[in-house]
Amino acid sequence: MKKLLIMCGTGIATSTVVKGKVEEWLKENNLSKEVKIYQSKVSDEINRIDEYDVVLSTTLVPDKIRDKVIDGVPLLTGIGIDTMYEKVLAEIKR
Amino acid sequence: MKLDKELALINVDAASKEEVLELLGNKLLDKGFVKKGFVGSVLQREASYPTGLPTQPYGVAIPHTDGDMVNESKIAFASLKNPVRFTAMGQGDVEVEVKLVFMLALKNPADQLETLQKLVGLFQDPETVSQLAGVKDAEELNGLVASKE
Repeated sequence: MKKLLIMCGTGIATSTVVKGKVEEWLKENNLSKEVKIYQSKVSDEINRIDEYDVVLSTTLVPDKIRDKVIDGVPLLTGIGIDTMYEKVLAEIKR
Repeated sequence: MKLDKELALINVDAASKEEVLELLGNKLLDKGFVKKGFVGSVLQREASYPTGLPTQPYGVAIPHTDGDMVNESKIAFASLKNPVRFTAMGQGDVEVEVKLVFMLALKNPADQLETLQKLVGLFQDPETVSQLAGVKDAEELNGLVASKE
């Protein structure tokens, strides 16, 4: 089971929307059983980011964890969604 | 979703995002939907975690803050006469010209999730964004959102 973290600044608004969309996508791609989703805010996760296999964020993250994080904003603007999901899939399959 | 009549501000003349945030936040405060520190908290949060979305043909912003500042979950709306600049969500150095502001006062993640998902869906369609910028009152706004089921 892969651990997928979705985070935003508050862990309340945008991460909730992104979570809903990612759940749908996992279902459509028959990946629901392979991935467990976690939702949180950036400040709570900085020091334990390596516990997750995939990380999506709708906010800017500190430099030290930037390489680990995939930009989730495409799910809010509709721009660049395919490229974003390719990255997510690559991390799930890794 | 249904937006409260008094929480929809149409064709607002504002010079900066701070002005818009204060205006909307104070509306929510007047009605008792948020606590006193809400506006300050939204301003602070917007600086650390910006909420501008580079949608077309106008940018949209969805300012919000932690749920402990909120008494009752609500959404306040403003359309702007002239765009103001917000920083783009998830990027420290990109500015977005925003004409539509949806201020989210949310107590917990489950509140108004459907509404939020729906709003985000609307933002992704340029024609709808354009229509949102042209609504005359809360009634028209609610009608437009309902028509996009």
